Amino acid sequence: MNYKPDESTLISYLYDELSDKEKTKLENYFQQHPEELAKWRALGDVRDMMSFAQDKEVIAPPVFVDDSNVRSLWQSSYFKISIGIAASIVFLLVAGKILGPEISYSKGELKISFGNKKVVEPVPANSLTEEKVREMISASLASNNEKQQTLKEEDEKRLMQSLVDMNSRKMDVLAKNASLASREQVQAFVAGLQEQNLKLMKDYFQLSSTEQKKYMESLLTDFSGYLQEQRKQDLQLVESQMKYYEKNNNQFKQETEQILTSLIASPNRSKNNY
Amino acid sequence: MAETLLDIAMMHSDALIARAREGDKNAQGKLVQLWYKRIYNFSYKFFFDHDLAMEVAQKTFISMHKNLAGLQEVTRFKSWLYTIAVNYCREETRKKKASRSFSLNDLNPGDGEESYYWEESHQRHENPERQLRHSELSDLLQKCLMELNPEQREVVIMKEYEGLKFREIAEALNISENTVKSRMYYGLDGLKKILEQKQITKENIGYEL
Repeated sequence: MNYKPDESTLISYLYDELSDKEKTKLENYFQQHPEELAKWRALGDVRDMMSFAQDKEVIAPPVFVDDSNVRSLWQSSYFKISIGIAASIVFLLVAGKILGPEISYSKGELKISFGNKKVVEPVPANSLTEEKVREMISASLASNNEKQQTLKEEDEKRLMQSLVDMNSRKMDVLAKNASLASREQVQAFVAGLQEQNLKLMKDYFQLSSTEQKKYMESLLTDFSGYLQEQRKQDLQLVESQMKYYEKNNNQFKQETEQILTSLIASPNRSKNNY
Repeated sequence: MAETLLDIAMMHSDALIARAREGDKNAQGKLVQLWYKRIYNFSYKFFFDHDLAMEVAQKTFISMHKNLAGLQEVTRFKSWLYTIAVNYCREETRKKKASRSFSLNDLNPGDGEESYYWEESHQRHENPERQLRHSELSDLLQKCLMELNPEQREVVIMKEYEGLKFREIAEALNISENTVKSRMYYGLDGLKKILEQKQITKENIGYEL
């Protein structure tokens, strides 16, 4: 017989979980293999000994769990909505109290109004209509235009009349004076006029010639001044140039002297070195 | 293991889990009260460290609170809860490996009444001396358990101390039942060798107690 129980079977037998058939089979095996039975019993003994390991007494501490799913009443959407509605109603009531709203419904028309009601005086039955007012305005405008036109025409007529009267009177006076003047008087008048004209011409020429003279004189004076100034500047320039050349020349002279002295001194030095 | 009222309540907590899953804070609080001791003790046996066990237990229940709504089947709550706990245990193991630290108590546990075991013995009114021996034996066995590799250790704790079925352990660890049984076998076999090494036998224990 090749039957050999595995660990699983031995443990099942230890905890009495084997079926009757398997149990018989295993018991037969143990009868044939007492050393295996002893081994198995030893496992039972271990169990017995290990059962002396006691449980520790412990008191369950309060376990506090932060439940993030639980929301306070303040955070619930119902609360927020109802608070929103209540706030709106309160706002309307306050606004209503201040503004005095009036809600009316008549003939299928809903009216919400605020503030004091306007008292509309009843319109009398035979009162003016819009058309009548328009007619009245147009009629008054037309009559006014007519009046203005007639007044304008009258004024024009009067003005023309007065002009004609005044011109004719002047013409009459001139004609009368001309008819009264003699030939001598006319000649004297013309001569007076000629004299006046001559005098005017003379004065004009005199004045223009003196002015021209004065202008020419001033022009010449200015030109001579300009020339003097120019000459003066040129002289200064020449003088400065001369100074510059002189300075350069002196400097060149000094440099040449220095070079010459150094040239003269250098052979002596080279001699000394040898 | 004698069933306490708490165990019975845990076994019949389907309605409570369903309510907790729907967001009932009260039900969630009751679930914490029911399962805290189990998860703490699982972690404690896994690490043999009170602080780490507290850390894992708290993280497990915070995670439970956050993810309970996503639990598909109420009947799978137990394995689901242990999955979370195991994952945190593994995470803490990785952290522990990264920063090797040890408790000051491990340096010098002291003897007799000087020992912190004495301080930690919870039923001192029964028989303090006997209780101390119990506590010391418990810690000795716990140390043996700590010598197992983590994979075997978690299976042994789940089966022996937490009373999970093999199917539930398989679900919690996302492995096959055969693998669970195999790990259990090698775990118990390993413990047998460790106990032999430390010369802890059934007779010794009976004599001590």
